[in-house]
Amino acid sequence: MNPLLDQFQSEGRELLEGISEKLLHLERAPDDPGVMDELFRFVHTLKGNSGLFELPQMTRVLHAGEDLLDAVRDGKQPFSAALADQLLEAMDFVAAMFDEIGDGDSASLPDPGWQAEPATQLAAALRAHLQSTPPAGRPDSAGPDAPAAAGQDAPIPETLPDQSTLAALPEVARMALYRRILVGASCHVLVYEPEAESFFKGEDPFFQISQLPEPLWRRISAREPWPALAELDAYHCVLRFELVLESSADELAEHFRYVPEQVRILAIQPEQLPLPQGRLDDGPMTANFIRAALTQVDARQTDALQRAARALLELSAPDLCIASGLRWLLLVLELEPDNRERLRDLLGAIEHHCLGTPVHDARLAPSAARTAAGPETIASLPPEWRHSLEQALAAQRQILALEERPDWFQGRLRAVAASLNGLCRALGAESALEALAQATAQAEAQADSAPLRDWLTHHDFALPTIDSPPELPAESPAGSAADAAAPSVRQPAAPVPATGATPSDEPVRFGRRAEDQAGTPRTLKVDQVKIDRLMGLVGEMVVAKNALPYLAGRAEEHYRVRELSREIKTQYSVINRIAEEMQDAMMQVRLLPVSFIFQRFPRLVRDIAHKLGKEVELVMQGESTEADKNIIEALAEPMIHILRNSLDHGLELPEEREAAGKPRGGKLEISAQPLSDRVLITIRDDGRGIDAEAIRRKAYEKGLIDEATAERLNEQEALNLIFAPGLSTAAKISDLSGRGVGMDVVRSAILRVKGSIDLRSQVGKGTELRLSLPLSMAVTNVMIIESARQRFGVPMEAVAETVRVARRDIHLIKHRQTTVLRGRVIPLLELNSLLGLDVPPVANEDDALAVLIARIEQDELGIIVDDCRETVDIILKPLEGFLGTLPGYAGTALLGDGSVLLVLNPTELL
Amino acid sequence: MAFTTQDNQLSAGEQLSVEDAELLLEWLLKHPRGRIDLSACDHVHAASLQVLMAARPKIAAWPESQPLADWLTATLTEEASNHGKNNSRC
Repeated sequence: MNPLLDQFQSEGRELLEGISEKLLHLERAPDDPGVMDELFRFVHTLKGNSGLFELPQMTRVLHAGEDLLDAVRDGKQPFSAALADQLLEAMDFVAAMFDEIGDGDSASLPDPGWQAEPATQLAAALRAHLQSTPPAGRPDSAGPDAPAAAGQDAPIPETLPDQSTLAALPEVARMALYRRILVGASCHVLVYEPEAESFFKGEDPFFQISQLPEPLWRRISAREPWPALAELDAYHCVLRFELVLESSADELAEHFRYVPEQVRILAIQPEQLPLPQGRLDDGPMTANFIRAALTQVDARQTDALQRAARALLELSAPDLCIASGLRWLLLVLELEPDNRERLRDLLGAIEHHCLGTPVHDARLAPSAARTAAGPETIASLPPEWRHSLEQALAAQRQILALEERPDWFQGRLRAVAASLNGLCRALGAESALEALAQATAQAEAQADSAPLRDWLTHHDFALPTIDSPPELPAESPAGSAADAAAPSVRQPAAPVPATGATPSDEPVRFGRRAEDQAGTPRTLKVDQVKIDRLMGLVGEMVVAKNALPYLAGRAEEHYRVRELSREIKTQYSVINRIAEEMQDAMMQVRLLPVSFIFQRFPRLVRDIAHKLGKEVELVMQGESTEADKNIIEALAEPMIHILRNSLDHGLELPEEREAAGKPRGGKLEISAQPLSDRVLITIRDDGRGIDAEAIRRKAYEKGLIDEATAERLNEQEALNLIFAPGLSTAAKISDLSGRGVGMDVVRSAILRVKGSIDLRSQVGKGTELRLSLPLSMAVTNVMIIESARQRFGVPMEAVAETVRVARRDIHLIKHRQTTVLRGRVIPLLELNSLLGLDVPPVANEDDALAVLIARIEQDELGIIVDDCRETVDIILKPLEGFLGTLPGYAGTALLGDGSVLLVLNPTELL
Repeated sequence: MAFTTQDNQLSAGEQLSVEDAELLLEWLLKHPRGRIDLSACDHVHAASLQVLMAARPKIAAWPESQPLADWLTATLTEEASNHGKNNSRC
């Protein structure tokens, strides 16, 4: 898998968790601005990351969410539970998308059109919150259809091709469009990109398009270059339809209502239309004209400007860029002579498009950027910056001090002006730009660098003097500096060769913030496969070290070297200690806190409770309790089932609770605690409890138990019937919804990880479920037994006790051997016959048989073996391949002497 | 088949349907200098349109149906000029 995508996935999921946690927090404390900011940041980051990949639907939803949160953050929109619901749903969608990516083969991303419909709806729903209270003064609400269009297609501004589409329109068409829009017509750009498989779905995009009213402009193009005709796939749709229509966005959206994700409908704003196009022209006339025109716009000398523009237009070839710009200028002057902002923008566009070198006039700067920054921005500059600025300024001084006047003198002046302009902006000293522009104009007019030099000398850049390096000696107009100066003019920050010791020798770090370096991460993210492999190796190490005692034994008995035997034993104890520590450390690595699954419960409980109209208080304890990752993961599913059952069937509706004399809100407690080598998880609710009688009746009706059993079962045993497979859906005492998952599924999931489950319930008081799970499954403790001269292992969880039973104490009841142990009748089975070995069990000298009392679920059973031996820790390897289908075996393990131990699975054996 | 062929000319019927796209493509591959008569045509399926756009055959006659003629002339003649424009644009 693509590592970048991998990282995106793991980070994305973390962000999602963060987002839902913050949302829930905000629901309790909606006025916490810190949390709000963090939430916004999470969504923003996630959206940004998603943009790296071809995931348009995810980006679309997140973008809508981000906009909504931005409005909330700015106080334009109150935070509400409905809003949180919507956002949570959007995050669920994103999570589903992550699942889809994870399921896909290697680096295959879901099809860009995947889930487009729900994404569109989600985005629209999110934006619907925004529209309910339109923020004041949003610039894009120009046409009556603009908000509708925004809601319809949730535009993602970065990817909109509107500029390129509009730029493709012939100038005449755009001018006509401009006139129409100014008189109030609603015009839209429609971009329709039918999906590649659309022909197979019986769609005819062209027919769809030709049903539209006559467009003002149209273009059909291919999304990818046409292949050679012989390789063309006629049924792989690559068409893109672009149209400009005079219809409302609603009409267009209605027309394409079945393929909303394939069309983009964009309201055309008048300011998008004036775009000068044509052959480039770098004449000085253009620059001069723009400068003069700006002055005239400011002075409202419309007539003069019109005359000047006409004159220049007559002089310019019609296909020049400037001619196109002038035609636009005249049109704007004719239609909106008082719209100075528009005129200024247009002049800026002409400058941008028609001139190779920008003029950089302060008046062309966007009005918003013209606010002067306070001195604190300068003071807060890092020292490296100050130093670089000093160097850049010195370079400009050097250039201005040059005596010679080459042909490119004007260009040199402009370059210096541009550099200084950039410096001023970087320093936030926008107020100085005006003076700089004047000085530049003066200098150009006089063809002398003096005005700029003066400005540079007199302008106070407010640089602190403490850090500034010694004045550069190249201040004098020496020819030696000339060669260095010329190439560096374009980059203000280009380092001038350092003279002597500069105060800061450390490398200059531009744009890097302090926190980028704040310590390397303390945690590692490692693929689980690697950990599993390491664990396997540790396991083998443990087994290998077990060979040493055997070796010691052989040294002593076989080779009769006692000394060596002792030394091997000493070495063994060292290796043993290290191996055990290794094993322990390995377990630690695999340990996860239960919070890993607990953290999703608040959300789950909240959602279900909302849906059921119940009031529930969730209390969680011991979230930091740890257990092996496999155990924790196996726990998630059954826990969710249990919680769902509690909420659905256990806890009552508020009214019912009040009637029963309980507080309206139910209480759901989840706690986890370590208990020697196990983890105990308790889920307790104070709901209506389970009626054992009802269960007993149901089980009897279902035929799960006969009448006698039904009579005999005590209350607890009747309750346990809830785990019986056949009772899964029928045992819903209240049957609120008939939903809910069978408790047998829960129990088998817990049993699979060698855990146990215990249910207690009192009618009217509540229900309590206790799950007991092993801390780790990596090492299995088995008892070695011997039978028919072979050794077998039996997992210790299954072993209740081992006893010797005298042959005379074995009785036959209905042809089955039984014995009485401490007043209980225990059925006996011979292991040899279970395994199909035709050998009678071997008794000891007192004629007593070794019996292993196995605990299988709730019952006890005696298994007759030849002998019971020691218990060992082993790494259990499941049987694989052809052997994997053999029932009765849990797996195999290597013993210290190199022999293979077959481990039995008593449950399957019977 | 919604079109007839004669020598080097293909005459479209009332419609160039989605099935015709493949046949049209085959014919155009065999007749690289083939001419197309669209006069009787009043709709071209998008798949056939794609083939026409990719192959750029000589059009012997434009459709008599004015809306379709507008579309096709705009698409089959203008795209070439558009390419030129794109290159020269700043």
